[in-house]
Amino acid sequence: MHDDPSHDDLMRFLDGELPPEEHARVQARIDASTELSREAVIFRAMKEGFQDLTFHPGTYHRSVWDQVNQQLTRPIGWLLVVVGGAVWTGYGAYVFATSPANPWEKLATGAVVIGILLLLASVIWERYREWLTDPYRDVYR
Amino acid sequence: MQPDLERELIRKCRTGDARFYEPLVRAYEPSGLRLAAAMLGNLEDARDALQEAFVKAYESLHRFDLRRPFGPWFFQILRNHCRDVLRSRQARFKVETLDERLELRPADAAQGPERIRQRSAARELLWRALEKVGEDHREILVLKELQGFRYNEIARILDIPEGTVASRLFHARRALKEALDEMGAEFP
Repeated sequence: MHDDPSHDDLMRFLDGELPPEEHARVQARIDASTELSREAVIFRAMKEGFQDLTFHPGTYHRSVWDQVNQQLTRPIGWLLVVVGGAVWTGYGAYVFATSPANPWEKLATGAVVIGILLLLASVIWERYREWLTDPYRDVYR
Repeated sequence: MQPDLERELIRKCRTGDARFYEPLVRAYEPSGLRLAAAMLGNLEDARDALQEAFVKAYESLHRFDLRRPFGPWFFQILRNHCRDVLRSRQARFKVETLDERLELRPADAAQGPERIRQRSAARELLWRALEKVGEDHREILVLKELQGFRYNEIARILDIPEGTVASRLFHARRALKEALDEMGAEFP
């Protein structure tokens, strides 16, 4: 029938989203139509089923706040450590380079320091590449 | 949470003080966990997704419109993150561990073992049907039926016109009914 409520109106009716006069109009149409009544009963039954499905996380649930807080604050800590380390390293290098020490001593010490840094960087890079392909990286140990 | 308090907390967070984020996290995590669990199908993934969504939301607070409520905005971020998780891991919605970990509602406990068994079976059936209906249908059903959002809130979270919500809900419910029919569910 042409004045039957649309599917959208039926949904709004079931979900209490219609204004009162529209709600009454749809209710009257449903009361007058066996087919619509049947459809409304089925949708209502499904809605009730969802009420049973609604769960409360309850005692199982631990707050995620600690993890969120760590993720929010740790990067600032790391940033400060890296910036502080870089400033000290730069300053140390400058003082060492401008010191009156023997140039050969400077060269040898510089080679040792650069060598250690390169080795450290290569180990970190290797570990990072392994981590990228590690299938168990999301598993908490 | 009172909108004024919410706004004040967000203003404080924008100054970089993460301590003021804690009340927001605690206020929205139960409903956020429900949404994520229903979208991803298990609580472990849901917790991870919720955590990441809270971090993303914090980092985007400078873009947040203070005239609007925080909830729908946050749930939009969470919903998008859940969809990303499903895509990036090529993971499917899985329900095998979810139901057994859900706590019964207080009313269930007083209803005797037979009623509890029946309701548990009905829940299981509904979860399985949700698994079958597909991501788009599932998310709108979850937002409406599990979270109880109004149409305007759902529209905001899904970023669709409000007029489209009823239509999408109809198709989702019809798909759910078909899934339940296939599984032999009986309606009154």
